[in-house]
Amino acid sequence: MPRVEVNEQACTGCGVCVDTCPTDVLRLDPQEKAFAAYPADCQGCFVCQWDCAYGAIRVVVNG
Amino acid sequence: MAVRLETDVLVIGGGIAGAFAAYRAREAGARVLLVDRSYFGRSGCSALASGVYPAYMPGDDKDAWMRAFGGPLVNQPLVAKSLPVMHEHVLLMDRWGVNWVKEGRKIVRMGAPGRSFANGVWMAEGGPQMMMAVRSGVVGSGVEVLNRVALTELLTSDGRLPTAGRVVGAAGFHTRTGEIHEIAAKATVVCTGPYKFPYPWPGSTLGYMPIDLSGDGIAMMMRAGAELSRLELGGINLNPDNALSAPGLESLMPSGAKWVDQDGRRFLEDYDPKRMEMTQRALLYFAIAHQKELGRVPSMDLREVSPERMQLIRRVIPIVVNNQEAMVGDLTEKPVPYTYQVAGTSGIFGAGARVTERGETTVPGLYAAGTCTDMTYLPGGNLPFCSVTGDWTGRAVGAAVESVEPPQPPAQQVERVTAQILEPLQRRDGVAFEPVHRRLGEMLMEKVGLVLHADRLDAALAELRDIREHEVPLLVAHNPHELAKVWGLTQYLQVLEATLRAYRYRTESRVAFIREDYPVIDNVNWVKMVVVKQQNGALRLWDEPLPESWHDPHPVRPTQNLHLVFRNQEAPHAAR
Ligand SMILES: Cc1cc2nc3c(=O)[nH]c(=O)nc-3n(C[C@H](O)[C@H](O)[C@H](O)COP(=O)(O)OP(=O)(O)OC[C@H]3O[C@@H](n4cnc5c(N)ncnc54)[C@H](O)[C@@H]3O)c2cc1C
Repeated sequence: MPRVEVNEQACTGCGVCVDTCPTDVLRLDPQEKAFAAYPADCQGCFVCQWDCAYGAIRVVVNG
Repeated sequence: MAVRLETDVLVIGGGIAGAFAAYRAREAGARVLLVDRSYFGRSGCSALASGVYPAYMPGDDKDAWMRAFGGPLVNQPLVAKSLPVMHEHVLLMDRWGVNWVKEGRKIVRMGAPGRSFANGVWMAEGGPQMMMAVRSGVVGSGVEVLNRVALTELLTSDGRLPTAGRVVGAAGFHTRTGEIHEIAAKATVVCTGPYKFPYPWPGSTLGYMPIDLSGDGIAMMMRAGAELSRLELGGINLNPDNALSAPGLESLMPSGAKWVDQDGRRFLEDYDPKRMEMTQRALLYFAIAHQKELGRVPSMDLREVSPERMQLIRRVIPIVVNNQEAMVGDLTEKPVPYTYQVAGTSGIFGAGARVTERGETTVPGLYAAGTCTDMTYLPGGNLPFCSVTGDWTGRAVGAAVESVEPPQPPAQQVERVTAQILEPLQRRDGVAFEPVHRRLGEMLMEKVGLVLHADRLDAALAELRDIREHEVPLLVAHNPHELAKVWGLTQYLQVLEATLRAYRYRTESRVAFIREDYPVIDNVNWVKMVVVKQQNGALRLWDEPLPESWHDPHPVRPTQNLHLVFRNQEAPHAAR
């Protein structure tokens, strides 16, 4: 299954990925860092990775 | 507390059809609200599209276009009318900032499978950049946008479904807060895209992005009493094994990609030795389905694509390439096996509400455009035919609402619908989403599959009814996110039932619709549309011939009847 990895050091909590994820996987945690609240619904489209201006998100797709 | 909104034109769904419908209605002076269950600009097929907008340009040979796009079930005069609009859209999107592949300042076009001429305008940064630029053009025109609201039911002037009155808006919920949204509108335009088995698991042969399109709009329109058509012809598409990725055929095939089996043999020799990989999509689908049935492993081989072309492809179809390379490594090293998605409309062909070229459905006040319609029998759902039908619908709606009084959705209906929407959140001991979802998916793979047969379809319909009657009414959601999935599955089941019934009704094979028990492209008896309508709680199906004027300049000749011939003489279902 595809999954989203967030680098907490790099994440600024801007929330762009939370806004734009097509399948609504992401949320901000109490520390204002993005995390996959609904990991099972990640389709591996890479949109969050491309939208993150800080290079804080990586989509991992493997068999 | 419910959120109550009021507008002239409500557009449901922000893919390319919804975007153009909203833009043109706004341009005509209407107040327009576009509602998307996801995020306008990032949602739907349009934002994940594989980089090619096939477009006519002035000076093209119109007859070549008609030969490529004017098949027996196509409204040819309408295709001809759509051609200059595509060109207009390419230029408009260029102004909005869509990054087309250019030589200097000139937009260039590439060849495409099934066509004798170059027609593909390529996106230099793929579908995601295209739709974000379209979004900014549409928002800049004054269209209001509401994201993360899934609309689940149409509201009607008589408070009934199906209605004898008109559609006066829609209701749904916010997929994060669960807040009910009630929207009153003088006209409602459904642009909810294609439908497919929602939230597939990788490798299930049901998988294909975007994974959340469940046919909501088609189900809503059916309940409101709209006639549907083309459901049986809107199906299947390809995707790489084990990835939920898109195919990218339009750019890969003209770049030197090959289809091979597990022994490296180019099996298209058996089906279209002249055109091989540049064959028509329908024939390619058939060939691959047939190879699968024979137990072969059809795979895409990119080893002969030049490094320069591969570099361009990486930009044009970034989702496809990223997705697959993450799974299998360098794509140019070895062939990648491909599989199928079944029982959905995948976004490549249109199927859904019967519409006029002005986007009118058979229900007053209700319009539709793009892949959730039969697209007035244009050749199918690709970006240009969706933007064109959106455009025509937007203009018509913009003009029509001028003479409509502000509507008042009946309070009783709103109350009933609200209670229904929230029910899965309030159930205590119902059934969980996952097992029902899994049961349905496995049923589809086992009983429907790629090559259809009446017996298997009957068994599928019986199981479907069982799921619908005994499990769906008990589905539980623990939060609004899950509620969206429960509603998606519920809507999908209704559209699926109508589709399986339409599969059963058409007793021939055509496009990517392949029946083991009727392996004939039957142009004598089946140049017809199959219509489905919900009436008195049941589905009614009938067929209607297509007007002869639709087949001008390329008439349908009965001699075009074709048996699907299998060179190696094995029956199509040999593997079972
Ligand atoms: C992965 C992929 C790649 C493709 N690549 C190409 C290509 O390169 N070139 C090409 O010409 N064609 C391509 N196609 C086909 C083309 O993308 C589609 O035909 C076209 O984008 C469909 O547009 P649409 O507006 O009808 O629907 P969509 O773009 O799917 O939009 C539907 C919208 O409705 C919203 N929605 C759905 N239900 C609800 C609800 N209940 N409430 C509110 N909103 C809702 C969705 O969130 C979505 O935004 C591709 C299709 C796919 C799936």
